Amino acid sequence: MSKYIDMPISEINKLLKNKTIKPIDLVNECFSRIEKSDLNAFITLDKENAIKKAKELENLPVDNLLFGIPIALKDNIVTKNLKTTCASKMLEDFVPIYDSYVKELIDKNNMIVIGKTNMDEFAMGSSNQTSFFGPVKNPWNKSLVSGGSSGGSAACVSAHLVPFALGSDTGGSIRQPSAFCGTVGMKPTYGRVSRYGLIAFASSMDQIGPITKNVYENAVLLDAISGKDERDLTNIDKDKNFTSLIGSPVKGMKLAIPSFYISDVIDKEILNKFNEIKYMLIDMGIEIDIVDMKYLENAVSLYQIIALGEASSNLARFDGIKYGYSYKKAKNLEELYKKTRSLGFGDEVKRRIMVGSFLLSGKNKNEYYDKALMLRNAFNIEFDKVFKDYDLIIGPTTTTLPYEIGSSLNDPNKGFLDDILTNPVNMVGLPALSMPIGFSSNHLPIGMQIIGKKFDEKTIYKLASFIEEKLNLDLGGAYNE
Amino acid sequence: MNKLTKEEVLHVANLARLDLSEEEIEKFSYQLKEILDSINKINDVQISTDELFIAPWTNNTTLREDNYKEYTMKEDILNNSSYRFDNFIEVGGVFDE
Repeated sequence: MSKYIDMPISEINKLLKNKTIKPIDLVNECFSRIEKSDLNAFITLDKENAIKKAKELENLPVDNLLFGIPIALKDNIVTKNLKTTCASKMLEDFVPIYDSYVKELIDKNNMIVIGKTNMDEFAMGSSNQTSFFGPVKNPWNKSLVSGGSSGGSAACVSAHLVPFALGSDTGGSIRQPSAFCGTVGMKPTYGRVSRYGLIAFASSMDQIGPITKNVYENAVLLDAISGKDERDLTNIDKDKNFTSLIGSPVKGMKLAIPSFYISDVIDKEILNKFNEIKYMLIDMGIEIDIVDMKYLENAVSLYQIIALGEASSNLARFDGIKYGYSYKKAKNLEELYKKTRSLGFGDEVKRRIMVGSFLLSGKNKNEYYDKALMLRNAFNIEFDKVFKDYDLIIGPTTTTLPYEIGSSLNDPNKGFLDDILTNPVNMVGLPALSMPIGFSSNHLPIGMQIIGKKFDEKTIYKLASFIEEKLNLDLGGAYNE
Repeated sequence: MNKLTKEEVLHVANLARLDLSEEEIEKFSYQLKEILDSINKINDVQISTDELFIAPWTNNTTLREDNYKEYTMKEDILNNSSYRFDNFIEVGGVFDE
């Protein structure tokens, strides 16, 4: 059995260049592993087109590092002629008629799309349990959740089913499953990656980002999926060079740890592991201060108002007429809307759009939404203050280790509480990465979050790659042949 | 009260254009209350600013020139609907017969 997927992509690239292997060998290896896997990480596989693409690439020069590399896409990223379900009954049979911008760039770089990954329904959840297609299992312990909402993307990279995946992050949906599965996941600066073709959840926070096995490859993949796209007016193309600081000295860097990020809301084992990293960094000549940032403890309420308000408006488009599931027996338009949406959406989505519609209706707009936008501004001011004096902010990614599948289903706030350390950056548009920093006593991965200034992903990658090299963790454990 | 009334649940369901079963009404009456309790905590926060931050948007201009392009995917769009009729999408009446 070949093991190319376990190699760094620079090695794969060499083998492709000197014709030791062909792209089809990588594709075959992916499908052979996926077919043996029981993680439920994929919703749709595209073997036929992946093989076709791999064959086409045999006649082309290997002209970039990503050439021929297989990739999986979260199933809220639209792909022309390839089913895109958002893990919802509403879009169970939906075949998009255009490609998202990131898919266009993947094609341009001659990467090979393997399939679409499982996720929480419409990206609403933090454990992949709201998927219409069932939960994704955590590769490190299959009775536990993968995290979410990009659970399939994190699990398939962690288990070495594919080298790369893309996720999306509205409140932590790339970073939290990355922490739970032991992968590197980046939520880029808001506007960095075009949202053209990303099915919207909360438009002022959604970002697509890369999930990879290591830091360097994450930076390379982010470079490939970002660029100027006229079709997303929030998109900005600047200050890339994501790998430019990798390997440069870290001595003298200044890092801040918000006191809330090391408070008693965090699991003891996670905290201990994080503190080990802190002391390691101090020993290397990095300055670290604990800082007081106001309001962080209010992140859940704030997120619930902003995200659900925007979600209720975005999901109003599912009317049963233009595309997607439709209730065929309706006697009038109102009944068509209501029956289609009631039968097409799952419970989590229903709760969220009901709360969101309520928050934006009548006087509630002033009482809740405006107040939330003020608090959002206060968050922004707090982050600005810290970034006047510090290069980066660090902390744990999650408050808990991965938990049992099925254990959180009766708590409608659980999916929000899981994001308390990750969603503040979505509020204000900052980039943040989660990376593995070690294991718990029962050998579950623990993640650390690194938050940077706007458009300064390269400094995040600099620190992350330094930590990765120092720790030299064995992350191959999730893959069982 | 640790739950919403049936009327309150039906009101928010109507806002979101959802049609709930009795069982769902009962379940959501508790669950929505739990979420709203969490949201209501925002009213206890003393916020140091009254400026609104709508989105982390750094582009200066948000308007593009008002010109049009010929759209070439009309057939595909029509075929995506369950209700295609010629070059239209046919929908039911707004009112009952």
